[in-house]
Amino acid sequence: MEEYQEDNGSDRGEEEEPDFNDPSDYVDDISDEELLGDLLKKKPKEADGIDSVIVVDNVPQVGKERLEKLQNVIRKIFSKHGKIITEHYPKEDEKTKGYIFLEYTSPANAAEAVKNLNGYKLDKLHTFAVNLFTDFDKYANVSDDWEVPTKQPYKDHGNLKWWLMDQDCNDQFSVIYEGGEKTGISWNSSSGPVSIEERARWTETYVRWSPKGTYLATFHQRGIALWAGEKFKQVMRFNHPGVQLIDFSPCESYIVTFSPMVDTKDDPQAIIIWNVRTGAKKRGFHCENAAHWPIFKWSHDGKYFARMGPDSLSIYETPSFGLLEKKSIKIEEIKDFTWSPSDYIVAYWTPERNDIPARVTLLDVPTRKEVRVKNLFNVGECKMHWQNKGEFLCVKVDRFTKSKKAMFCNFEIFRMREKQIPVEQVEIKEAILAFAWEPSGSKFAVLHGENPRISASFYHVTKGKVEQLKVMDKKMANHIFWSPTGQFVILAGLKNMSGAMEFIDTADFTVMNTQEHFMATDIEWDPTGRYIISGVSWWGHKVDNAYWIWNFQGKILHKQTIERFCQLLWRPRPPTLLSAKQLKDIKKNMKNYSKQFELKDRMSQSKASKELVDKRRQLMESFRDYLEECKNAYDSTKEQRLELRGGIDTDYFDSHREDWEIGRASCRERV
Amino acid sequence: MKPILLHGHERSITQIKYNREGDLLFSSAKDQQPNVWYSLNGERLGSFVGHGGAVWTIDVSWDSTRVVTGAADNTCRLWDCETGKQLAKIDTSTAVRTCGFSFSGQELFFSTDKQMGYECEVFFVDVRDPRQMVNGNSYLNIPILDMPKVTSAVWGPVDEYLITGHEDGSLCQLDAKTGEMQATQKEHNKNVNGIQTSKDRTMFITASKDNTAKLFDTATLRLLKTYKTERNVNSAAISPIRDHVVLGGGQEAMEVTTTSTRVGKFDARFFHLVFEEEFGRVKGHFGPINSVAFHPDGKSYSSGGEDGYVRIHNFDPQYFDFEVEY
Repeated sequence: MEEYQEDNGSDRGEEEEPDFNDPSDYVDDISDEELLGDLLKKKPKEADGIDSVIVVDNVPQVGKERLEKLQNVIRKIFSKHGKIITEHYPKEDEKTKGYIFLEYTSPANAAEAVKNLNGYKLDKLHTFAVNLFTDFDKYANVSDDWEVPTKQPYKDHGNLKWWLMDQDCNDQFSVIYEGGEKTGISWNSSSGPVSIEERARWTETYVRWSPKGTYLATFHQRGIALWAGEKFKQVMRFNHPGVQLIDFSPCESYIVTFSPMVDTKDDPQAIIIWNVRTGAKKRGFHCENAAHWPIFKWSHDGKYFARMGPDSLSIYETPSFGLLEKKSIKIEEIKDFTWSPSDYIVAYWTPERNDIPARVTLLDVPTRKEVRVKNLFNVGECKMHWQNKGEFLCVKVDRFTKSKKAMFCNFEIFRMREKQIPVEQVEIKEAILAFAWEPSGSKFAVLHGENPRISASFYHVTKGKVEQLKVMDKKMANHIFWSPTGQFVILAGLKNMSGAMEFIDTADFTVMNTQEHFMATDIEWDPTGRYIISGVSWWGHKVDNAYWIWNFQGKILHKQTIERFCQLLWRPRPPTLLSAKQLKDIKKNMKNYSKQFELKDRMSQSKASKELVDKRRQLMESFRDYLEECKNAYDSTKEQRLELRGGIDTDYFDSHREDWEIGRASCRERV
Repeated sequence: MKPILLHGHERSITQIKYNREGDLLFSSAKDQQPNVWYSLNGERLGSFVGHGGAVWTIDVSWDSTRVVTGAADNTCRLWDCETGKQLAKIDTSTAVRTCGFSFSGQELFFSTDKQMGYECEVFFVDVRDPRQMVNGNSYLNIPILDMPKVTSAVWGPVDEYLITGHEDGSLCQLDAKTGEMQATQKEHNKNVNGIQTSKDRTMFITASKDNTAKLFDTATLRLLKTYKTERNVNSAAISPIRDHVVLGGGQEAMEVTTTSTRVGKFDARFFHLVFEEEFGRVKGHFGPINSVAFHPDGKSYSSGGEDGYVRIHNFDPQYFDFEVEY
């Protein structure tokens, strides 16, 4: 019975607390688990402790005298990953057996020890094999019901390089149009673009070709799809939700995808590197921001890839995807790095720090030897430009003047193929708008100045010096586009410079042609250097969307207006299989080759004409029939016409203009 | 060919017309005063003064005695060609959009816009009858009720019907005596901006806002050919002596600033009548071309533009030698 005090008023003072006791016969029905669940979990169980035990194999077998020393060494190594609470060194005939058991305080420690010390080289003869004790059990109990995995049928995607076998050596390009709704693939044939494939919603944003042209990559909400072969079948899919950016390795063996969406602390998923052929995920990385994509830069053949951290450069190798020498290279305040396009050399630059000047360093991989260092002073910013064959490196240095008020610029030209890599300085007094090396050549072009006084300067790098070849004034240009095969260059004024294009032959600096594609946003050379496409993309400009095809001399070949044209990309070609000598021989015998091609061109042209001519003939014939009918109708109404014009035969006068005066007189009479 | 520039209008040209012999060229513009010029040398003969609003349309009778104009001042006026004197004025409820003399020159038609509650109507008046030449007394008027307004029109070969082009791209054949709609056709899907017949009137060509011009058979309204461009076509004409058609057009004034403002970018385009293939362009106008016409002898053509200029082009000898291979 609960006691209950009545409140008798202010005389009592404080109230007594109500009684919270259970009734005397109350038995609680709450279980231990519910009350003490978390405590009970910690209750030692018989099987406990096994998860914290590791087995270390390949331990030196020692006798009693050296046992203590061995134990100390082992203890020292393994304590790094946790407190060791038990050690067991099984012995046989007074010697340790060569394997030991160590118990940590928690399974986490054991796991860490396994992860870090498995494969630890104690000395020349002993490399530890470290495993969890529980693993032995696991592997011993592997089911005998193991089924042979079914063999995956080989998916033959056909000849992925089929387009290179085209008889007419035409190139392909991809086109995105209708605002992104449609993507098409076309041949660039001599009579104009010929579409071979057109798919609606093939990609959700844009497309990319792989570096050698084998694959077309399309973007989707769930990841990337790769298409290849004659029918552009889907050959691979990479599941990476929210993917925004991709990058292929130069050898096309790997693809790097970036998505800002799926990253978790334990499982880095922002950047994933995949094997293209198998679709397997090779490695994942964290990535805070992808502003300077690609984050990972590949060496020229795909053997290494690297990325920089705030004070380090991490180089990884393929196919193991492990960090080279298991550690990053410490480079304080590294600002930017690039690979040589032909050697295993990384060029990077660091800014001025305390007493150390800014410098550009060329580092050999994997030796990590600095093959060249160049100190620079008063540096604001550096930008590296490699010539495509790795023969030259140009570093554009923006410098402060002594007063730190103005900036001027100069180029440091590294001549890679010469002994000790000499560096030459070229100074430009004006603001630099663009810089580009001639592909496979030793020239470079610079656009400098300010609108409207922009000039183009051409330089030539030879043994011993860098000489200025030519300066061309008053150019309406903000971009330089060299032909991929060298010699020819286009100086173009894109976007706000209304699409002026100048075609120049740098052999003698003749301006071959000056043209304009009004409001052009992009210019692309085809991979062979024969054709150029200029385009007005709907992404940049909402009217007049089209792409125009020019030949390398600047002659317009074809204008293709497409509804909301967005992007055009030439399909890349793999590097030639011909040796340098073979190329030279072909050039020498060009006359013989050109004869057979000219004949072919002429025949194909007349063939096109023939079809067209036949079509026209048909049209003309049927129209002539119609005209006959018209004539008959006209003749039949002659009477009416005469009547309407009061007897004056204007039909006659219209065809006989010499008799006009008579006609006119008749008119006046009538009036 | 160096063209002759006629500078006599202060606003954009709306229509140009040659007389039957071709020695005179008439031009109407938004500046209220149509002009007449000698086509040989471009010398201005005179102006027709009287309208109070933009003049949309102009025509001359076959004997070059009478001129008819229609304007935004809600009048259709008749003039003496030689003296320029206004002979008659017909008041209408809304702007007069098209007009034209019949083959005989005794009748003329004009159409009014659908505006402010008034319907689009086509009126036929007898020119010889003074009583009809005042408002409301036309011998025949056809309200256009079920269709969008008339934007251009031409008489049939012997005045038996009127061919009208409408704002939605459709074409009609209206009986000239009864006003009955004899035939109708819709091949264009936007405004028919202009209609001109061939020399013998058995065919006519339409210019449309849907970026094409089309060739039709007059009697049946059957579509014969289509000429494609990527811009609005304001006017089209058929050469009297060759298998050529000329198209003039361009973007609407508002959109002009987004194209290249380089000098003289607006062009007249020549197509082969039968093959529908473009074979030439003539640049020169500073704005879209609103009206084109071939000289009746086919040796020259003229164009009137948004820039207020009329340009007379005499063809080079190459033009006459040019043959499309078939």
